[in-house]
Amino acid sequence: SASLSERSEQMRDKLRKWREDNHRNSEQIVDVGEELINEHASKLGDDIWIIYEQVMIAALDCSRDDLAWTCLQELKRQFPGSQRVKRLAGMRLEALEKYEDASKQYDSILQDDPTNTAARKRKISILKAQGKSAEAIRELNEYLEQFVGDQEAWHELSELYINEHDYGKAAFCLEELMMTNPHNHLYCEQYAEVKYTQGGLENLELSRKYFAQALKLNNRNMRALFGLYMSASHIAASPKVNATVKKANVKYATWATNQINRAYQLAGRGTKENKCSVKAVEEMLESITMS
Amino acid sequence: MGEVELSCLAYVKMYLHACLFPRCSVNGLLLSSSPAGGAVCVTDCVPLLHTHLPLAPITQLALTQVDVWCAQTQQRIVGYYQANACVSDSSPTPCALKIADKIAEQCNNAVLLMIDGGKMSPDYRVPPIVMYERKDTRWTLKDKHTIMLRQWEETRDIASQLLDSGDHSLLVDFDSHLDDITRDWTNQKLNAKIAELASPANDNLGVCQLGNPVLR
Repeated sequence: SASLSERSEQMRDKLRKWREDNHRNSEQIVDVGEELINEHASKLGDDIWIIYEQVMIAALDCSRDDLAWTCLQELKRQFPGSQRVKRLAGMRLEALEKYEDASKQYDSILQDDPTNTAARKRKISILKAQGKSAEAIRELNEYLEQFVGDQEAWHELSELYINEHDYGKAAFCLEELMMTNPHNHLYCEQYAEVKYTQGGLENLELSRKYFAQALKLNNRNMRALFGLYMSASHIAASPKVNATVKKANVKYATWATNQINRAYQLAGRGTKENKCSVKAVEEMLESITMS
Repeated sequence: MGEVELSCLAYVKMYLHACLFPRCSVNGLLLSSSPAGGAVCVTDCVPLLHTHLPLAPITQLALTQVDVWCAQTQQRIVGYYQANACVSDSSPTPCALKIADKIAEQCNNAVLLMIDGGKMSPDYRVPPIVMYERKDTRWTLKDKHTIMLRQWEETRDIASQLLDSGDHSLLVDFDSHLDDITRDWTNQKLNAKIAELASPANDNLGVCQLGNPVLR
């Protein structure tokens, strides 16, 4: 019927959008994907294979091994001997915490194709899942020597370093990312946060600059706005700065305060819900601007 | 040291926070509306982060804002909770110790609570939590017999219900608030839902001491 095929169209579009955005909304993907596969498989044409892959990965994420297994069998049948399907089989082993078997699976892919980046990255994921951060970091560094343009890998490495409190190296990774993605406000903002965490006047000033840069790229980045406020306030309060620097930073902090107030006034309009958060911010800002 | 009591509200929100971000480490603050001195009653919690827990700016910001809110609402920050992304290791991380230290500066019998991800399956019989207290300058495991949850079975059921109904997605942590500042990190909406589900308090039913099975 017309409405049934409309429905399957809609579901198909949803799955496509989530694929394109690389969304990890696994519960939704399983919901939509399972219905699509079970009830509308005939309408999907060749799309069905990529949908099987997408749904399988989502199913692993939700501990739905039954569904993952079904998808895997279909893919194995259609693409015997495929490296891509082999990797999916490896991911299933990971989900079942059979890490040694998974590792062997990836090793066999790499034997046939030593440049298979997906398999290498899965091996690093296994180290991460096992809590072997130092090894994961080492392997990821080696990987990046070969594949220096892999953004995802640089970001993963920055996260690993942050968790190990190695802020200097995290900053280095984020610098790489900012260089290749100069318009990405998130990288600027994360870099600023790392610098702020490292502490010391020089790092604080750097953090302030990068919070400001993030705001230039996206003036609604609240973390950057608060970050600018905090870094500028701390610099202004430091006994090590001269009067000129102090004055400039008071100006930045005041500007940030006004922007924050504006944003919260706007946000608070019409909703009773966030009155508490709005009030808390107001008071916080008042207390700092008075000191 | 002293006894610690964990309210249904605090437990449910902490638990849902961990469930909402299963692939991330999450943390938050434990609050009390009781006056200082005597047993520590954790009556509420504020979920804070699910990204970049070790980084300073947002943590400092959150601590300041929660401080202000506590002053406005006659509450105190009495502790800190964290759930690690890696379920096989529920020990406090350096950043957990650091933040807990800071809280302990202002609050004598502050508690550090780790959620044990490995024990969070639906049929768990005991609360999946481990608590630490400060003895001298170190955080040491608290004696299980000094930790109490009233109405544990009811609390556990409320948490499950909210998970099943998908209402756990109502929970707003500070990170989510910064992504969209119209969202309320004091979680008034979720609090109301939890209160709805909780029956009138009967202090003697289903008291759970972590050291003993549930009493009847």
